[in-house]
Amino acid sequence: MSNNPTVSAVEWFKSAAGLTISLAVIAALAATIDRGPYILVNTVVTGGMLSLVAMGLALVFGVMNIPMFAHGEYFMIGTLVAYYVFTPMNGYIDQHTGTLAAALLPLVAIIVAGLAGGVMGVLTEKLVFSNLRKRSRENWVMNSFLLTVGLSVVLINLHQLIFGTEFKGIVGYWRGAPLSIMDVFISRDRCMAFVLAAVMVTAFWLFMTYTRTGRAIRAVSQDETGALIVGIDLNGILLLTMSMSCALAAFAGASLLFMYPSYPSVGLEPLYMAWFVVILAGLGNVLGAVVGAFIVALLKVLTVEYIGSGWEFVVPSVLIIIILIFKPSGIFGSEVRGILDK
Amino acid sequence: MEIANTAPQAGGLSGLLEKVCFTPAGLVGLAVLIVLPLIPPFNQEYLVRWLVQAAFIAALSVAFDFTAGYINIVNFGFCAIMGLGAYTSAILGLRTGLSPWVGIWTGAVTAAALGFVIGLITLRLRGIFAACLAWFFGLALMGLATKMVWLTRGPLGLRAPRLFETSSNVPYYYVILAMLLATYLVTRLLVKTKMGLAFQAIGQNMEAARTSGVNPVYYRIVNFTLSCALAGWLGGFYAHYYGILTPDMMHTSKTVEVLAVAYIGGRGSLWGGAVIAFPFIFAMELVRSSLSSLPGLNLIIYGLLLILVMIYYSGGFAEFYNQHFRKKEARA
Repeated sequence: MSNNPTVSAVEWFKSAAGLTISLAVIAALAATIDRGPYILVNTVVTGGMLSLVAMGLALVFGVMNIPMFAHGEYFMIGTLVAYYVFTPMNGYIDQHTGTLAAALLPLVAIIVAGLAGGVMGVLTEKLVFSNLRKRSRENWVMNSFLLTVGLSVVLINLHQLIFGTEFKGIVGYWRGAPLSIMDVFISRDRCMAFVLAAVMVTAFWLFMTYTRTGRAIRAVSQDETGALIVGIDLNGILLLTMSMSCALAAFAGASLLFMYPSYPSVGLEPLYMAWFVVILAGLGNVLGAVVGAFIVALLKVLTVEYIGSGWEFVVPSVLIIIILIFKPSGIFGSEVRGILDK
Repeated sequence: MEIANTAPQAGGLSGLLEKVCFTPAGLVGLAVLIVLPLIPPFNQEYLVRWLVQAAFIAALSVAFDFTAGYINIVNFGFCAIMGLGAYTSAILGLRTGLSPWVGIWTGAVTAAALGFVIGLITLRLRGIFAACLAWFFGLALMGLATKMVWLTRGPLGLRAPRLFETSSNVPYYYVILAMLLATYLVTRLLVKTKMGLAFQAIGQNMEAARTSGVNPVYYRIVNFTLSCALAGWLGGFYAHYYGILTPDMMHTSKTVEVLAVAYIGGRGSLWGGAVIAFPFIFAMELVRSSLSSLPGLNLIIYGLLLILVMIYYSGGFAEFYNQHFRKKEARA
C-alpha cells in the first residue's frame, strides 16, 4: 500500500467498490444525457429514502445478527400511522395554506410515525427476539430469520384485519407548485422526502461516529463479548438498535406516503429493494448501504426507463446475482465477523 | 399405540417396515389417509379439495425440508421453482399437446436444471446468503412470469389441461397422495444412505465436513437439484389440478406457507411437515371459512405459530413426538 494519493486513487478505482461506483456514475450520466435530467432526480429521490430503509436493515444485521425479513412491515406501520395522523390535519391545512403551521404539520405526522416505528421496534425486541436470545443462540441467524418471516406474516395480516385492504393514501403533504430543478419539475413532497432522508442519514452518521452510544453500538457489532467485557449494556444496545432501525423504516414509510398509499403489503417492495441493497453493499455494512441504495435506485430507474415497468425486480436481481457470484461478501465488503460461517 | 422396534437386527414385519422407512404408526396414518375421502364427512367435494391441498403442501414441505433440514440452506425461492415446473408443464401441454402425465416430468426436469444452476452458484455462499440468492432467483422468475405475457399470459392466468376429465377431486387426491409418498420415500431413502450423513455433516459444519473428506460441492448440488426437481414435479401437479396458473403462485408468501408447515412439523425430520400439514391446512381453512368476517385471521395464527415454534420448540412436532411417544432407542 502506498501513501501516494494518486496511486491509492488508482487502487481504489480498481477495487470492486471503485469499479461499481464509477460504472454507476457513468451510467447515470449517460442516461441523463440520453433521456434528460429527470433520471438523475428520480434516482436521487428514490435512493435517499431507500437508503433509510437499507441502513436500518444493515444495522440490525450488523449489530444483532438478525436478517430482518419484516423490515418492510415497519415501513408499512410508518405509512399507516402517518396516514391516520395526517388525515385529520388535512382540513386545517386546506384552510391555512401558506402558513407556517401548514408547513410544519406534515413534519409532525412524519415524526410521530417514526416514533411509532421505534415503539414497535422496542415491542418486537422485548416480545420476540429477547425471548429467542434467552432460550437459544444456536443457529441464531437462521432461526431469527424464520422468526422475522413469521413476524412479517403476522403484521401484514393484522393490518388487513384491523384496517382493511383498501389503499389509505394522501394526495400530498406540502401544497404549492412543484419546484423546478435542472429544468425538471419535482413535487414539493419529493424534494422534502429527499431533504428529510439526507438529514436523517447525516444525523444517523453523526450519532454513530461521535456519540458514546453510537460507539457502543459499533463496538457490539464488532465483538459482542468484547463489548460486554468493557461494560457496555448489551441488552440496552440491542434494544436501541432494533428500535432505531424500525424507526428509520417507519420514517421512510411516512415520508413516502404520497407515493406508497398504506395497504397491508406495501412494505414488500421497499423490503426487496432494501435487501438488494444490503446484499450488494455487504451485509451489515451501514455506510455501504447508503451508497448501495443509490446504485440500486439507479438500476431501478434505468430498468423502468429503458426496459419498461414491471421488470424492476428482474434486472436488478439478475445483476445482483451476478455480482454475488464474483463477490459473495458484497462490493464494499462486510466488517461483521463470522457472518459467512453462521 | 404400538411402538416400532427399529433396532437394526429386528426381523419380520418391523424389519421390513424399517427398510421402507415406515413405522407402524406411520403406516396407520397412511391407511387413514387412503380411506379418508371415502368416509363421511370427508367424502364431500370441498373437503376432498382441502385434502388435496393439504397433501400438496405436505409433499412440498417434505421436499423443502430435504434442503432446509439437511444441508441447512433455506431455499427461499422454492415456490418460484415449483411455479417454473408448473408453467413448463402447462405451456408444453398447450403448445405441443403434450399429455399432462408426461408434462409433469418435463416440469421436474426444468426445475432440476434450474436447481442445478442455483446449487452451483450458491456453492460459495452460506446460510443467509444462499437463502437470499435463491430468493432473488425466485423474485426474478416471478417477474419473468408476470412480464412474459406472450408465453405465460401474465396475471391474466394461463389455463392448463387437467389430469382427469371428471370434476371429482377424488382421483386427484390419490395422485397427490402417491406423489407425497414417493417424495417422502425418495428423500428418506437417500437420507438413510451415506449421502444423508454427508448432507447433515455439511449442514452442521461445512469446514468440519470438508476436513473429514466430504466434498460439499457434490453433495450440495445433488441435494439442491433433487429438492428442486421434486418441487417442479409437484408444480406440474398443481398446474393440472387447479387448471389455472398465475404468477402469484410463485410469490414469496407461498414459500413462507410451505416453510411454516415444514418448520412447525419439525426440521430435519421429513415426515413432520407431512404429518402436520393435514390438521394444519384443515384448521386454517376452517378458520378462514367460518370467520370470513375477519380476513387474514388464519394467517395471523399461522405467523404466531411459526414464531412460537421457533422460540419455544425449535424441533417442532417431530421432536415433540419423538420425546413423548417413542422409545429411546427408536428415536430417529
